[in-house]
Parts: sequence; C-alpha cells; structure tokens
Amino acid sequence: MRILVVENEARLAQQLATALGDAGYAVDCAADGERADFFGQTEEYDAVVLDLGLPKTDGLTVLRRSREAGIPVPVLVLTARGSWHEKVHGIDEGADDYVSKPFRMEELLARLRALIRRASGQVTPALRCGAVALDPRGARVTVNGVAVRLTSHEFRVLSYLMHHRGRVVSQSELTEHIYARSADRDSNTVEVFIARLRRKIGSSFIETIRGLGYRIADADA
Amino acid sequence: MAGPSLRSRFVVGTVLLTAGLLMIGHMISLAAISRVPALRGAHQTFTGAFITLALMAIGLSQVRNGLSSVNHLRERLARLRDGRDRRIDGDYPAEVQPLVDDLNALLEHREQTVGRALAKAGDLAHGLKTPLAVLSQEADRTDAEGHHELAATIGQQIERMRRQIDYHLAHARAAASGATLGARCGVLASAEGLSRTLQRLHAGRGLVIDLHVDTEHAVRAQREDLDEMLGNLLDNACKWTSSRVVVSSDADAGSVEIVVDDDGPGLAASMRDAVLQRGVRADQAAPGSGLGLAIVRNLAEVYGGAIALDRSPMGGLRARLRLPSSEVRSGTA
Repeated sequence: MRILVVENEARLAQQLATALGDAGYAVDCAADGERADFFGQTEEYDAVVLDLGLPKTDGLTVLRRSREAGIPVPVLVLTARGSWHEKVHGIDEGADDYVSKPFRMEELLARLRALIRRASGQVTPALRCGAVALDPRGARVTVNGVAVRLTSHEFRVLSYLMHHRGRVVSQSELTEHIYARSADRDSNTVEVFIARLRRKIGSSFIETIRGLGYRIADADA
Repeated sequence: MAGPSLRSRFVVGTVLLTAGLLMIGHMISLAAISRVPALRGAHQTFTGAFITLALMAIGLSQVRNGLSSVNHLRERLARLRDGRDRRIDGDYPAEVQPLVDDLNALLEHREQTVGRALAKAGDLAHGLKTPLAVLSQEADRTDAEGHHELAATIGQQIERMRRQIDYHLAHARAAASGATLGARCGVLASAEGLSRTLQRLHAGRGLVIDLHVDTEHAVRAQREDLDEMLGNLLDNACKWTSSRVVVSSDADAGSVEIVVDDDGPGLAASMRDAVLQRGVRADQAAPGSGLGLAIVRNLAEVYGGAIALDRSPMGGLRARLRLPSSEVRSGTA
C-alpha cells in the first residue's frame, strides 16, 4: 500500500511520512501543488493525504484536476481550514474525508485505513482469507492465530493482494504499490517477496496466474 | 431627534411664494384697471378661477413627486436592512442622487473593510494550526520516549489553544457577519450541501439523511454561517444516530425554524443546557471538539436567533434552530 503526502510544512510532512512508514505504507511526499499534480497523475497511490493551502497550485485545484483526469484514489484532506462551508466545498470537489489540524496521528491513520478499505470494497477492519488474517491497525499478520513476522515490503505485497482478493494483480501493479518513488525498483524483487511470503504463510495461499500475475482466492466466492 | 418635516417646509415655502406672486398679480391688475376701465367686468372670472385651480393642482403634484423619492429611499433602506438588497438602486432627483451614491460607496467600503479584517483573523487562526499540528506530533514522540507527564502537558495546552482559536474565529466570523448587510441564504441549498458532505464523511455507516425543507425558506444570514450552524447540528446528529437523521423547516411571521432530529440515544435533560455553554462536552469520548453546539448558539444569537435542545419523537435528540427569515419572493438574489 502506497500513500502520497502533500504538505508544504516540511516538519509535518516528515512526521507524517515517519508515522505512515511505521504503519507499513510506502510514502511519497510532495511539498507543493505542482509536484502533487505531477505525482498524482504519473504514479499509482492507494490514498492521498492532501493539505489545501499549498504553494504554486492550491490543494483544491490539485484535487479537481485529478478527479477530472479520472483518478479515483481516495483523498483525505488535512487542513487548518475546517469550517463546514469549506468542507462542503472540498467534498464537492471530490475529497473523501476531512481531518482538521491540529490532529491526532492515530485518528488520521484510522481514517486512512477506513478509506483504503472502502475503496477496495472491504467491510471489516481486519482482513481474513482462510487461515491468514491481516490487521492493518497494527500491521499484524497471523496464520491460524499465530503471529508471523514480515518485512515492510512483504507486508505491503500481502496487504495489497488481500485488499484486492479475488482479482489477478500484475507484477507491475504490485511494484507500483509497494515502493516509494525514490526507491530502486526491480520487478524481479516482487518474485522474491512472493517466494518469501509463501515460505512464511503457506505455499498455496498466493496463486501464480502464469503470464498475468498473482491472486489470493476470495474465500467467500 | 427629527427636525421639522421636509414636506411642511416645502408647502409653507410654496404658499408664501404663491402669496407673493398673487400680490404682484393683484397690483398689476389694479394698475391695468385704473388705466383701462373697460377691463372692469365679471365675464373673465370663471376662466381665471379655472386656470388658478389647474396651476395649483400641477404645483402640488410636483411637490408630491419631488418628495416621493425620499419615501422611495426609505423603502430601499428597509430592504437593505432586511437583507433583500445589498445596495440602494433606482434613479433619484439630482439633489438626492449624490447622497445615494455616497451611501453606496460607504456600504462598499464597509463591506471590504469587514471582509479584510475577517480574512486576517482567518489567516492568523489557520497560520497557528499547522505549527500546533507539528507540536502535537512532537508531544506524541515525547510520550513514546517515556516522558509521559511532559507529553500530557503539551497535549493539553495544544487542545486549549485549538479551542481558543476555534472559538474566537467563530466569534469573529459571527460578529463580522452580523455587521454585513444584505445577507440571505436558502435553507435547502445549505442542507443539501451538508447532507452530501456528511453522507461522504460517514460513508460505510449507511446513514439516511431525510430533508423536509421548503425551497422557499430562507434566513437572514451568510451562507458560511448557516453552513456552520447547520453543519454542527447535523454532524452531531450523524455522530449519535443509529440510522436516520431528519431535517425539517417551518416558517412563521418573521422567522424560520430548522429542526434536526436523530434516532440516537438522545441527551439527558440536565445535560442539554450544559452542552450549549462554551467549552463543555456531553461526552469526553466523543470525537470532535465539543464546542460545536456552543458555536451554534453563539452564531444564532449574533443573528438574533436562538437554539433549543429537546427530546425527539424519533427517540434521540431534537435541535431547534430559529433564525430571522428573509422573504424569498421579493429579492433577486
């Protein structure tokens, strides 16, 4: 799972990046509206944390442009201007949630998890497929109730596949959603992560669909 | 204190002028008669009387027309105060028009000044919130490092500052809005926007928000402030409801009552007054600032309205917000 943080106050952006990184997300930061616009249109994110008062292009314009370009990514607006009139305006421009500054990091993380879950059609906070349970609240994974230790990349691969269970996810799509922009990318490493995951949680859990990608079967289907 | 009526001065002036003219006319006719005695005769009197009456009638109607522009101006000022107009428009006599132009310029200047002051207050408030957000995260980090007492102190002070900012910003907004003339806002438009917003913010809970609001109902308030009042009431209802929130409106002479009902657990009678007081929260565990209802009360009072809390027939809380109405049909807004 990969998040874009758009915040021009450097210290706050860093705090957000750290907290999101600790929660198991890959994080990119943009400090102004133009970069946010560029990242949003060229990269793939699972959610965006967007400040509205940005230099160069303001946050609402960035939001409107990305919606006009047909990008459906969930957007959480993090703003000092949280009057109801402004909230109505932001929601009408395509925002999905609002958090007013100052804020509690736990609340922001909880809202983000809920947004990502809703965007992928999941209902319950914890994801469960057969014996494997993944709880995004503590970045915890258990198999038959026994905790499994995963690296952050392994966790992101598993989390993305479980959020989109029942669907075939290509190797390049996985790559897009597990690395921050600055990271060295090598799609071969996805194979490595999958192999390690299979060793840790069971070999049959993640199917390889030859030529297309990977899939976790939807247990309910 | 009102001076002597303009109308009586006009009439007295006109009568005196006419009397003078009559005296001159009389002297001329006396002189003419003494020179040409043949003019003495009564056959001209009827025509003379007719002309005299006609002239008087025309004169009076001129005075009336001239004065009617002053009455017209009064009507326009009343519309301005009611929020139906933002400026005084229409054509006025040459002596009155400069006065009207000056008044319009003054209105515009005042609106701009209030707007600038409000924008500055907003900038100050919002400029403080991002540093507070940074501090808040630092407090969390301090906590994680084991300095729990220090973290708790910083956290409490941040919360106090945030409340101060929210309270005073809302108050500044309200004071400025009360000073702005020509405000009017349809209740339905505001309720629809807020309903869309809250449905999105509470997505996944399957909330139903029913609006039974007459399209004609409008209040004498700025859109931003009606949104803030109604938004806080609706948000509160959405937080506590189990499935359904209903917004309805009713108008009587001079005011509109907006009612928000929910089917949540409601609020004990003893708590209803307390939550309307500044800074008191009904439930410390509830999300949000808890200032919401106090802000609604504050704003409502600035507009000459009121808020009351009650038990809803749906089981939860009923909030009744009463605001002065602005007639819909008369304005162009």
